Amino acid sequence: MMKKSHTLALFNDFEEAGQAIRDLKAVSLPGFRMEDVVIKSPIEHPELSEMLGDRPVYVQWFTLGGVLVGPLTGLILVASAQANFLLQIRGGRPVVPVPPDMVLTYEFFILSGVLMTVLGCFIGWKLPGRRSPLYNAKVSEDKIGLLIKADPLVIPKINEILARHKPIEIMGEDRR
Amino acid sequence: MSHTVDLHTPEDKDIHIERKFVPKPLDIDREVSWAKINKDVLRSLERPRPMFWVIFVAALALFSFGVYCEIYQYQNGMGAADLNNPQVWGLYIATFIFWIGMGHSGTLLSALLHIIHADWRKPIYRYSEAMTTFSLLTAALFVLIHLGRIWEFYYVVAYPNERWVWPNFSSPLVWDATAIGTYLTSSLLFLYTGMVPDLAICRDNARGVRKKLYTFLSMGWQGTDRQWANFRVTYMTLACLLMPLAVSVHSIVSTDFAVSQNPGWHITSFPPYFVLGALYSGCAVIITLFIVLRYVFRFEEYMTMPILNKLIKMTFAIAMVWNYLNLIEYATVWYGDNEVAKAQFIYKITGTYAPVFWGMVLCSTVLPFALLIKFVRTHMPTLLVVSLLLNLGMWLERVQIITPTFAHSQYPWTWTANWFPSWVQWGIVAGSFGWFTMLFMLYCKIFPAISMYEVKEMVHDQSKMLKARGQ
Amino acid sequence: MSLSNLIKNWSTLRVKRPYEDQYKDKDYKWAMVIDLDTCTGCNACTTACYAENNLPVVGKEFFGKGQAMHWIRIERYWGENEEMEGKFPDRGAQFLPMLCQQCEAAPCEVVCPVGATHHTPDGLNSQVYNRCVGSRYCSANCPYKVRYFNWWQYPERAWPNPLEQQLNPDVTVRSKGVMEKCTFCVQRLTEAKNRARTEGRRVADGEVTTACAQACPTSAITFGNLADDKSEVARIWARQKVDLAKDKQDKEEDLRGYRIFEDLRTYPSIVYMERVRNFEA
Repeated sequence: MMKKSHTLALFNDFEEAGQAIRDLKAVSLPGFRMEDVVIKSPIEHPELSEMLGDRPVYVQWFTLGGVLVGPLTGLILVASAQANFLLQIRGGRPVVPVPPDMVLTYEFFILSGVLMTVLGCFIGWKLPGRRSPLYNAKVSEDKIGLLIKADPLVIPKINEILARHKPIEIMGEDRR
Repeated sequence: MSHTVDLHTPEDKDIHIERKFVPKPLDIDREVSWAKINKDVLRSLERPRPMFWVIFVAALALFSFGVYCEIYQYQNGMGAADLNNPQVWGLYIATFIFWIGMGHSGTLLSALLHIIHADWRKPIYRYSEAMTTFSLLTAALFVLIHLGRIWEFYYVVAYPNERWVWPNFSSPLVWDATAIGTYLTSSLLFLYTGMVPDLAICRDNARGVRKKLYTFLSMGWQGTDRQWANFRVTYMTLACLLMPLAVSVHSIVSTDFAVSQNPGWHITSFPPYFVLGALYSGCAVIITLFIVLRYVFRFEEYMTMPILNKLIKMTFAIAMVWNYLNLIEYATVWYGDNEVAKAQFIYKITGTYAPVFWGMVLCSTVLPFALLIKFVRTHMPTLLVVSLLLNLGMWLERVQIITPTFAHSQYPWTWTANWFPSWVQWGIVAGSFGWFTMLFMLYCKIFPAISMYEVKEMVHDQSKMLKARGQ
Repeated sequence: MSLSNLIKNWSTLRVKRPYEDQYKDKDYKWAMVIDLDTCTGCNACTTACYAENNLPVVGKEFFGKGQAMHWIRIERYWGENEEMEGKFPDRGAQFLPMLCQQCEAAPCEVVCPVGATHHTPDGLNSQVYNRCVGSRYCSANCPYKVRYFNWWQYPERAWPNPLEQQLNPDVTVRSKGVMEKCTFCVQRLTEAKNRARTEGRRVADGEVTTACAQACPTSAITFGNLADDKSEVARIWARQKVDLAKDKQDKEEDLRGYRIFEDLRTYPSIVYMERVRNFEA
């Protein structure tokens, strides 16, 4: 397996970045796949991301797991705690009353849903993690970046394609 | 007979010409460049107007006095608050509900407006969510403060122990603790998740200690397409989970009263009434903070008048629903003709604490109509005073729920007319306002109070829309 | 394991109380009868209670603030008899000794966040001082307002040295921040029950009584075991046709027994004897 190299191009707006992506899709270069193209942008741009192909999101499955497991665990915890409590008889109500347990189960339902969603999100983000060495602070301001991982031999060709669309900057990786 | 009738009279044509498309004032100027948004918002973290420090120091002073009062009460016992046998809760629980209520609008409105894609939420949702978080923290303080043995507060928490002793899950106070805990956790996560892209911006621009803080908190966000896609799904899911949660939390707070047997509390319409009251006071606070932040951090370009106008419209609508629920509560008590409940109601509006009730009517029922006047909506100092008065009204509402019921409940022997909170109680209540303001101001100084990436989205969408219309 | 316990005992855990014959096969159900026609309002019961249960005397200032600690209080009501009122404005007071009603379905028990107040098998509404965190929700929800909170650190104020020597050693001295209330002199009940158990029998009627009943000069207060059919209390309850598990009793002309706020479905353990004149209320 050959070591891959990175290149990052900064564009002024989404149209130019989009055209660059279209051009990259049209060519076939050895050691370069569309999966290795990453957009870095200050805001979300769904149309642009769609051009890169299907990149599924799994967060909702985490949520589903959370909202299923949470209330069940919560209900069992609460009800069995009530059943074990030494001071059982209270106010003429059953020891394991339904309405209060419903309230608490509901809160567990939401809480575990939220926690699992956030967990799923961080897993999807692959965070916390290190930034890739090719990062430019301008992508958090107003520029759109295309980060491309490819075989070092085709990097010049890719840079050539990128340069057609008025990038303000193309950053390469220093060989270390 | 001719079938071709010209419906367009000459007059009509003239009108048609006059009805040329007049663009409504935009929520935000589309010429604002993304770089400028970054610059303006980041500047708020550096140099606010001097008023910032005035507010901060005043809040700190109030908070310190509150701490002094709490220490005094801790040392001497709850008697220092001049509570007594029927009046066991006093201002503490009333203020607790007030803060919980305030904490509702932020997250609830942010989630709701996000779900229905109301773009104008974007510049104001961040600080509203922060307001939620900090008012929940303040409310949690009151849960502790009102306890007779604050040092044993952990008994309320369900923690495993060798004696098999658990909290009483049937108690509405335990539901409260669970609900508030859930809400605080979820709101914090919602706030934090929505802030990660902005923290990355801060990280890219900060130096020194702050850089370390933002680097840690942004966790290496780079704005990749994969991250954005995950972010979009997560944020929408969280919003959908938070909406019902927020409604449930204040319903549960209302069960503290609705589940009990006391006249004036044992009312079926309490849960929706509390939820609406919460939204109402929260909206009023959002307006207050809007004006304060707009001035202190020079956010005139982002917190614009069209947005404020929308906010006021919403507040007015919510105030009207609240009025309706208020009215329906009294109407059902009256029509239900339960002697005890009716006597309690009559006492509430005519007895010793009637000024509290009528103060509420004045501030929360009548005053919102002032929002119909254009001058009130556009003149900042007037609007600030009105929004503060709306809040005073909502605080009085909570007091008039609690105090008259204690003073005039079922048992005639405990009917009291001369109860008044002591300086310790007032001090702690005032201190809570200091605590909230202090935390909120600190937050806005350390974290961006306006969501930068979403304002950029707003500008982007707006110019795209206008381009499509050919302007 | 806890889950298996939950499943195994599910039916018992779902039982609502009170129900008919709840105490039929039990040894004890403590109950009381207070005859209002005999009560003279002399406050001897209150005094006895202060002595027996280590109640602090709070003093004039705190009493005026409504922070007194009388577990049993004598309430006075005027205006019943208008004829009398015209002739003798200060006469004609009605007295009502009010103490914890030891409800079978107590509103206070449900709402305590930590379970500091709960129901004992012998029918008492007990208060665990060590567990109480002082949220005062029980007091807020008590329709009779017979729960008293330690607003101050009373012991040092009420019993300065050497007065602490006269405290009842069988009863806890409560510190600031906990709720307390009438216990039906549980220290006496426990002692009597233990003695009877050692001797292999049930506590006999009249063997144990509360301090208030003991001190009452007109014997207006009768205390005893409702589970024992032959006890004085059980006989009065039967004679007055008061049923523990009912929330509405038959109101016949010659019956005097009633329970306060029965319609709130608290099922109190104390029957007051006085002809109910206003049937509409």
